Amino acid sequence: MEQCTRRDKPMNELETPVLDAAVLEELAKSVGGDREFVVDLIGTYLDDTEGQIAAIEAAVAADDPAALVRPAHTLKSSSATLGAKRLAERARALEIAGRSERIDDGARVDAEQLAQDWREAKTALQEWMARSDTS
Amino acid sequence: MSEVRIALVVDDSRVNRLVLTRQLRALGLEVLEAENGIEALDLVRAHASAIDVVLLDVIMPELDGYDTLATLKADDATRHIPVIIVSGVEELDSVVRCIELGATDYLTKPINARVLEARLNASLAAKRLRDLELEHIEQQRRLTETIDRQKTELSRFLSPQISALISSPEGEQLLAGHRRMITVAFCDLRGFTSFAEQADPEEMLGVLGEYHRMIGESIVRHGGTLEHFAGDGVMVFFNDPIVQEDHVERAVRMAVEMRSRFEDLGAGWRKRGYELGFGIGIAVGYATLGRIGFEGRHDYGAIGNVVILASRLSSQAAANQILLSQRAAGMVEEIVDVESVGELQIKGLSRPVSASNVLVLR
Repeated sequence: MEQCTRRDKPMNELETPVLDAAVLEELAKSVGGDREFVVDLIGTYLDDTEGQIAAIEAAVAADDPAALVRPAHTLKSSSATLGAKRLAERARALEIAGRSERIDDGARVDAEQLAQDWREAKTALQEWMARSDTS
Repeated sequence: MSEVRIALVVDDSRVNRLVLTRQLRALGLEVLEAENGIEALDLVRAHASAIDVVLLDVIMPELDGYDTLATLKADDATRHIPVIIVSGVEELDSVVRCIELGATDYLTKPINARVLEARLNASLAAKRLRDLELEHIEQQRRLTETIDRQKTELSRFLSPQISALISSPEGEQLLAGHRRMITVAFCDLRGFTSFAEQADPEEMLGVLGEYHRMIGESIVRHGGTLEHFAGDGVMVFFNDPIVQEDHVERAVRMAVEMRSRFEDLGAGWRKRGYELGFGIGIAVGYATLGRIGFEGRHDYGAIGNVVILASRLSSQAAANQILLSQRAAGMVEEIVDVESVGELQIKGLSRPVSASNVLVLR
């Protein structure tokens, strides 16, 4: 299991890019260059993520670390798959907080930043899709 | 076994499932998907023999990867299915735990298509080996079953000693031919040839059936090796292939029992108008024993003067006589009363032989 180190500070978003387009290119390559598949996949991700964000926010609001773990984990995992690195990193920080069985101040800041990260990731992915369509 | 391999992808993230499914299909696999451990176990139970590999996420709702893995490995029906753990790079500790629980391998997300192919091939090769092994065990089981059935079938045609001999380790050596001292007993029915000429075939087979059943029971009871039936004539020997210290005594006791049981049988036949008598000849001596015959039809048989002597004594015996060669009589004088029948001229032997008739067992 990953280290359940207590963090008192939120993650530093400046260190992590919103979207690493190379991950998407690698993903397209891994499915035989099928960009349409990747575009569909992003669509699925955008549909599913709303629910996960809501579940995370609800868990933090209810101060329920156990309820935080799974949606944060799933969000981390699918965001990483699509190169939404900053959102993935935020979700990872929240997952760790959930596992530490205490939602501390750092985790609360992360939760507050989550909506912002999500909006940025969504915009970046939509831009990537638009670029893919025209290319 | 089908050539199309089936993978089960277990991940609660739809995005990750889609990616992995797509990559596996590109490698020519058919893919089943499950959102959590419970769904995965249901699918495995429904298709256990068809699923060739499970790709399992660790953190999932309902039933997580650990419990899913532990359940799969605890069940004989699913234990052999290779499980590849799919996890984030930062979750290597959980991978170690999964390997300890019986996972075959692991992949880290994002999944590199070439690494996936390599890990998959390794797991599928192991699974294929395991399937071949199971197939082999099944073939072996069917083969054993066939052999057992053949043995049972064979034992109906051969005397039990011979069918046991064929399957024994020293069987080949004994079948190839060896010399041993044996006691040979010949018995046949007096008056059978003329009876067979007059009787209906059904009647004759009925009489033969009763007669064979009677002597068959006595042969088995005394541990004789039945060499052959030829109509009413029956040849039995003792001390081979199973060694019997008391082989002469066994032959004589068998003969006396047969003679006594024949009294009832013969009396029944007499009432039906058949005049048949029973005679036995017994001799002791060395013979060559083993497989006799030609390709396609072999018997386990005995060859030697002792066989000829017993056969001739049997032909010379009057109804109800058990004729012993001199040597045989000498070896059982402790247990039977005999009367000499003098010297008999035996066809094929230059000198006459003295013989005795068994009166009673002491």
